Amino acid sequence: MHEQQQQQTQYEPKIVAFLCKWCSSAGSDLAGVSRIQYPANATPITVMCSGSVSPQYILSAFNKGADGVLVSGCHIGDCHYMEGNYYARRKLYMVSELLQFIGVEPERFRMSWVSAAEGTKYAKVVRDFVEDLRHLGPQDKLKAQRP
Amino acid sequence: MINLQELRTRARDLLTKGEVRAVVGYRRGSRGMAAEPVVITRPEEAAQLVWDPSCVHNLALYLVEDRKLLKHRRQTPDKPIAIVAKGCDARAIVVLLQENYFKREEVYILGVSCEETGVFSDQKLMRRFGVNSQALTDARFDGTDYVVTSAEGEQRCAAREVMAERCLECRQPFPKVNDVVLGEEKARTLEAPFAALGRFEQTANTQVARWDFWKRQFDRCIRCFACRSVCPMCYCEECIVDSITFTVAPDTTAEEKANRVRWIQRSATGSENIGYHMTRALHLAGRCIDCGECERVCPVHIPLRLLNTKLERDAREKFGYEPGASIEVASLVSSFRDDDPNDFIR
Repeated sequence: MHEQQQQQTQYEPKIVAFLCKWCSSAGSDLAGVSRIQYPANATPITVMCSGSVSPQYILSAFNKGADGVLVSGCHIGDCHYMEGNYYARRKLYMVSELLQFIGVEPERFRMSWVSAAEGTKYAKVVRDFVEDLRHLGPQDKLKAQRP
Repeated sequence: MINLQELRTRARDLLTKGEVRAVVGYRRGSRGMAAEPVVITRPEEAAQLVWDPSCVHNLALYLVEDRKLLKHRRQTPDKPIAIVAKGCDARAIVVLLQENYFKREEVYILGVSCEETGVFSDQKLMRRFGVNSQALTDARFDGTDYVVTSAEGEQRCAAREVMAERCLECRQPFPKVNDVVLGEEKARTLEAPFAALGRFEQTANTQVARWDFWKRQFDRCIRCFACRSVCPMCYCEECIVDSITFTVAPDTTAEEKANRVRWIQRSATGSENIGYHMTRALHLAGRCIDCGECERVCPVHIPLRLLNTKLERDAREKFGYEPGASIEVASLVSSFRDDDPNDFIR
């Protein structure tokens, strides 16, 4: 029992976070400069817009061994490109539906709207995500079985 | 049943008058009554054309093939190409038109209605009569039942027992966009839309059961790409999931070749197969018109329709989008509404 607990504490989920340049990236920056404490499990990848996140990026992140994928963009109506996040919402809704459909845990793919002023929200999103992933354990369904 | 003679006459007239450069249709194959696709260019060949429940193929694929060939030959044809199209084939053509793959005046849609029935499923025929359409000599629909003739003599069964699954879930068994339609133009009201999908969700109702099911399916995929080849929507010259399709020009350097992003490896391993099928399903979201060809041609019987109809149902229920309904509307992923689902986002 003790060993199992130890193993669980040792497991650190890997998160790939696609953050849009104009809001969420700045939001994560704000979390940093405000010295808000949050887990360091998320690897941020800045993209120009959440609408530019192809489903392929998400599948590929899982394939390369990510335990969770986060896509974060500007709030609806606040997109720097007017409507990029509307397209993202529609497209990525189908990705999340399809992932659930084939039996991948729905908690592994997450989307959030984080504005440049919401450093605390970004920290909370990552904190919650890491917490949920810890319960789920490593993702090995979509991970490539390469030697 | 539609008047076969009328179909042949129309095809012959189109060719005689020189209104079209070819007619894509079905003819009797070499075994039994099973039809095969044919492209005819001379009026006298029109007598070969057939239309019966063994015409399972989606001929829209040949319009895509034609387009690719013309591009390769650097030709611009002055006449349209005519195509014998069922309801589902015509919906595929609508999607291609919507995407500007070719222009409306470049295709003449010689529509045929499936009326109350649809096309055969060879698997179901095997199950019911122990023979497939290659062993049948005749099949007709007498209003309630199918009467099929094989070496065993005449046998009959309810239409739904041998009809393809997708035909049972077809709302519109005739081409809505057309130049002419033979047969009845009557939409169906379905008792059980997305029936196969519903059955699947009932049996595999937990996340673990769904994963077990799909893992078993995807693990046996041999990546023959038959589903992609037969799909009229998969017309990309370069396929993102298949590195051998990447263009190599005389001036492509070895470095460029080596640095091409390979999102998904070609190896037929579980994870790459999942990636392939997920990618395909997503690329077909809002474009798949459920002709069921991918599932029909799959040599290892992966129920691919489930993936496609899943997204089709989502598009319908959540976004009010119906693929292949109109040429003018914006496609599913190039449009949005204010009230799209938002509650999955934090």
